[in-house]
Amino acid sequence: MSTAATDALQTPQTPNTPDQTAAQTRLTGRPRSRAGIIARFAGWDFLRNVRMFEATFFIVVLPAALYLMFGALAEYGDQPAGHGNVTAYQMVSMGVYGAVMATSSMAGSAAVERQQGWGRQLGLTGLTGPGYVLGKVLVALAMSVLPIVVVYTVGFFTGAEMDSAATWFSSAGLTLIGALPFAFYGLAAALLFRSEAAVSAASGLLVVLAFFGNLFMPLTGTLLEIAKFTPLYGVATLARWPQLEGTIVAVQGEPQSDPLGLIVLNVVAWTLVFALICWVAARRTTRRG
Amino acid sequence: MITRAETTQTAPTAPQDAGTSPSGTALHATGVHRHFGSVRAVDGVDLSVDRGEIVALLGPNGAGKTTFLDMVLGFTEPTSGTLSVLGTSPQRAVRAGRVGAVLQTEGLLADLTVKETVSMVAACHPRYIPVDEALERAGAARIATRKVKKCSGGERQRLRFALALLTEPDLLLLDEPTAGMDVRARQEFWAAMHAEAERGRTVIFATHYLQEASDFADRIVLLRQGRVVVDGSVQEVTGTGQRTLSCRWIGPGTPQALAVAHGIPDDVTHQGDRVRFTTGDTDALARSILTDGLGEDLEIAAASLDQVFLDLTADTATETTTDTADSTEQKGR
Repeated sequence: MSTAATDALQTPQTPNTPDQTAAQTRLTGRPRSRAGIIARFAGWDFLRNVRMFEATFFIVVLPAALYLMFGALAEYGDQPAGHGNVTAYQMVSMGVYGAVMATSSMAGSAAVERQQGWGRQLGLTGLTGPGYVLGKVLVALAMSVLPIVVVYTVGFFTGAEMDSAATWFSSAGLTLIGALPFAFYGLAAALLFRSEAAVSAASGLLVVLAFFGNLFMPLTGTLLEIAKFTPLYGVATLARWPQLEGTIVAVQGEPQSDPLGLIVLNVVAWTLVFALICWVAARRTTRRG
Repeated sequence: MITRAETTQTAPTAPQDAGTSPSGTALHATGVHRHFGSVRAVDGVDLSVDRGEIVALLGPNGAGKTTFLDMVLGFTEPTSGTLSVLGTSPQRAVRAGRVGAVLQTEGLLADLTVKETVSMVAACHPRYIPVDEALERAGAARIATRKVKKCSGGERQRLRFALALLTEPDLLLLDEPTAGMDVRARQEFWAAMHAEAERGRTVIFATHYLQEASDFADRIVLLRQGRVVVDGSVQEVTGTGQRTLSCRWIGPGTPQALAVAHGIPDDVTHQGDRVRFTTGDTDALARSILTDGLGEDLEIAAASLDQVFLDLTADTATETTTDTADSTEQKGR
């Protein structure tokens, strides 16, 4: 009796199989690290977005085409403007436009994809929630580098002139930094309306903001005064700073200029506004979001 | 016999021996609750599933199936109670690729092809089987180059199935996997699933259809209003001995009176000029009817599976109304 009892107690311990089961040993290769997973996810997602015509058209092709129309082919393009010429001024403007389109649409579609169940699908993989966000940030950065590189390259070969290489690179860098807050802009649209259409509409609305941001044609008078309070104005002026140092390019009249402090204030204030909307919208989002 | 949940307190594997539960149990839930505000989506589930079992989770809409599966997948945490998956926490089991799932939600990117989707999800796993093998086993190989947006509902389910197989999971969870499939697709899907089960996987699937459950599962767990109301083998659940007796009523008195006399007051229905009784003892009922000349043209048949399902849920409804007076209509998704 007593031996039977001890046997019964001990048997459960005998098949104490290791955590890895027979099925799983069939998996080949070394397990990937967390960083490796994020990198591969970002790589896949980047290729996916580049391939999507509707995304790349607005982010890369349109800004480059607009630059060619307003910048390279304009007869006043050779006119000097600050540490460069008017063509370079238009080039930077279109770089800003493309980069901002990239960050806002990438952030927006990331949120919509997640809401529509793709997040749950990925939740069953080795990709963690923070990993997803980090991966998408990398994709958004890569997507906004794309229009800058393309527009600046086209600009370089079509008469855009700036005094030094440092001017080229610093304005490209400031464009990228200034575009980042617009991730909150796209995210806010996604969180508020929860659809791909809303994100597209928000990107469409960027055209209006770009007009007021002084990106398409130099504004004057009352329009200019209004424009100074709009979100893209700050980003655009910041990106042009290496070339113009705040000078406002005007077709005619007395040259004006913006102080750096106010421009930074514009960028910071709008960043906070967009972030606040996201925060409120995220709190409002239901549990299943 | 069907064991009512209240009486099955998992007698055989009770000892809290640390060695037994991690290796032998695929899923172990004790007193699991999940409340959303005042809605008790899952209201005290005790359930233990051994490795290699194929379990159907059955229940009407809003019974708490999806919420329960969400907890097993680590998407939501129980409000109270304990839940272990393959001897560890749900999150840990899922991260390690030991749990695969076919989810009910949309969850696919329309712009990718079927194969690209599998490759992209594979890229997010620490380890995985070859993409082509997953497609082949899920029966999705011939739609590999099709864009997801051009796939039918059944084809998307196959794609989800391929995704679920990527990590050779020990536990497969399927939430209404054949929803939106036609009969042929349904058959092919279950054939593929059979092959996976034969590899020794534990399979838990949620369904509305008792037929599907009885065709494929070893064991049926019926949820209602967030609780396990029935838990037993397919034979136990479907072979309840319930039969229907129908006849043309000619006798004195009412069918209701007869039903009351036989202790089945709620199991009478009228269909045209015929009266239908559902009971476990049709012999006694037939004897009464024939002896007293109450009816003619008698027909006795085993209850259909759907009838069994309705009986099980209706039966428990009367049982549970007393203690869940606040039972609100629950949202299952």
